[in-house]
Amino acid sequence: HQVLHIVPETLQQVQHIQVLCSTLMLDLWKPLLPEDIRAGLDLHIRVPAPLVQEVKDSLDQHMISYRYILIPDVQKLVDQSMPRERSSHRQVAGGYVYTEYHPMEEIYQWMTQIQKSNSELVTQHFLGKTFENRTMYYLQISQPSNKPKKIIWMDCGIHAREWISPAFCQWFVKEILQNYKSDPKISRFLQNLDLYVLPVLNIDGYIYSWEEDRLWRKSRSPYENGTCYGTDLNRNFNSSWGSVGVSFNCSSDVFCGLGPESEPETRAVAQFIKSKKSDILCYLTIHSYGQLILTPYGSTTKPPSNNEELMQVATEAAAALTGKYGTSYRVGSTALILYSNSGSSRDWAHTIGIPLSYTFELRDEGTYGFVLPADQIQPTCEETM
Amino acid sequence: DIDDVGHKYYLELELEDVLDKDRTVKCTAEVLYHLGSKASAPDVQLTVQGELRSTEEADKEFYNRIRSLEKELVAENIPDSHGNVPPALEPIHLLAWVASGYVTWQNSTENTKFHLAQVKHVKQVKRSDEDLQFDYVLLLHEMVSQEVLPWEVTVLWHPQRGARVSQCQGPGAGN
Repeated sequence: HQVLHIVPETLQQVQHIQVLCSTLMLDLWKPLLPEDIRAGLDLHIRVPAPLVQEVKDSLDQHMISYRYILIPDVQKLVDQSMPRERSSHRQVAGGYVYTEYHPMEEIYQWMTQIQKSNSELVTQHFLGKTFENRTMYYLQISQPSNKPKKIIWMDCGIHAREWISPAFCQWFVKEILQNYKSDPKISRFLQNLDLYVLPVLNIDGYIYSWEEDRLWRKSRSPYENGTCYGTDLNRNFNSSWGSVGVSFNCSSDVFCGLGPESEPETRAVAQFIKSKKSDILCYLTIHSYGQLILTPYGSTTKPPSNNEELMQVATEAAAALTGKYGTSYRVGSTALILYSNSGSSRDWAHTIGIPLSYTFELRDEGTYGFVLPADQIQPTCEETM
Repeated sequence: DIDDVGHKYYLELELEDVLDKDRTVKCTAEVLYHLGSKASAPDVQLTVQGELRSTEEADKEFYNRIRSLEKELVAENIPDSHGNVPPALEPIHLLAWVASGYVTWQNSTENTKFHLAQVKHVKQVKRSDEDLQFDYVLLLHEMVSQEVLPWEVTVLWHPQRGARVSQCQGPGAGN
């Protein structure tokens, strides 16, 4: 990459550079914040290799002169700059630490910031409300185009204690936004597909796992006069609801609720997906742990109509995943390789006609289980990516 | 299938040393799950083919460290919510794993899959004999029911005699 030294001469040049920095997400070394760029003051911008030509062309177009800085001591330069850790003004990845687990408040702020810094691609949408009246938002990543696009939906955090799951959704969004211009695979993706990401489905449960009980799984709706809490949202969907692998006892961790879609969170997701189902190609739901890619169904071992295709895609995905760090994943239907269950979101998505529907169970295989150390966030997300 | 007795499984296993990832040891095992719902632990026969590495020095160091504590060791939430284990508590964590192995063995059927989810609480109890005693509350996660339930386990440990579970009590009779 190259570090350009620019001294903007006019306000217009300053403004152009600010726009350039935010649209291309360039790394400002001096000053740190776009709003501190001033005419007459030295400006240092680090430009990643794939963007160098575009940046230079743009500067040339606007008659902005620049020269290159050779960096003999990058570390010294880095040390000279202010700590950039938690600046909320930074674009996409800057400032937000993706290799840590974040409480819901911070995830809400992250969504707002992500949309703000990437407004040409990202919009935040209302999905519904949780039992405790919290707002569920999903992010739509969509490249403007005049052709209609198919949709890939991914939700994380349906089970509160599976913290690596929301961490992955956030990582995924960051990766897409950071690389969609430079990575040909990703840019091709976005030409033809829209990505819809719900970073935390079970918000009430997630918050509860931060504040009260790290190993909580279900939602937080009260039953039996407030003596018992929570429905297993992944047993609450309308797919053979209540038939197998569930409990009708509220105190169970697989309590399926009083009826299919009895929970507001379930209804919010189901309503939306139903409304878009003819355009949704692929439904992904992210869980932990177990290192599995699971296909329909959980309630029966009878294979779905497109089982061959489902298995082929999943097998290739697992191989690609293993290729990164050697982490082994098993592939198969829930009923065959895990246990029987009914009312899962993945099964429901398939039965309403979404052809590719998968549950991912991320790291690990039980060593840390739900309390996966934060230092495994990066490798887990990188391999799953 | 063994008529009127139960189901027997023949296993070939490879054990990996948690503290020395390149080190593996092969084992064979026979596991017999008894018929009927008498809730008895499966019979296990294990043969280790090869040698387990000597841990004499580390054992001695841990033993002496705990014995010389003025106040009994007490700790909670191992690992913590973010998956961290303070290095000084690593041996306590490893001992908990051993204890959870015992609980798993005693409570397994062909339809259960247990993992240690977290050490909720551990308290050292000083003894007049040479054993170290740790009273644990272990949270075990069972995959099929998805339940995470507390088990109270008392573990005795001695550098030469190894680990023994002296008491084990399942999820509360109270509720």
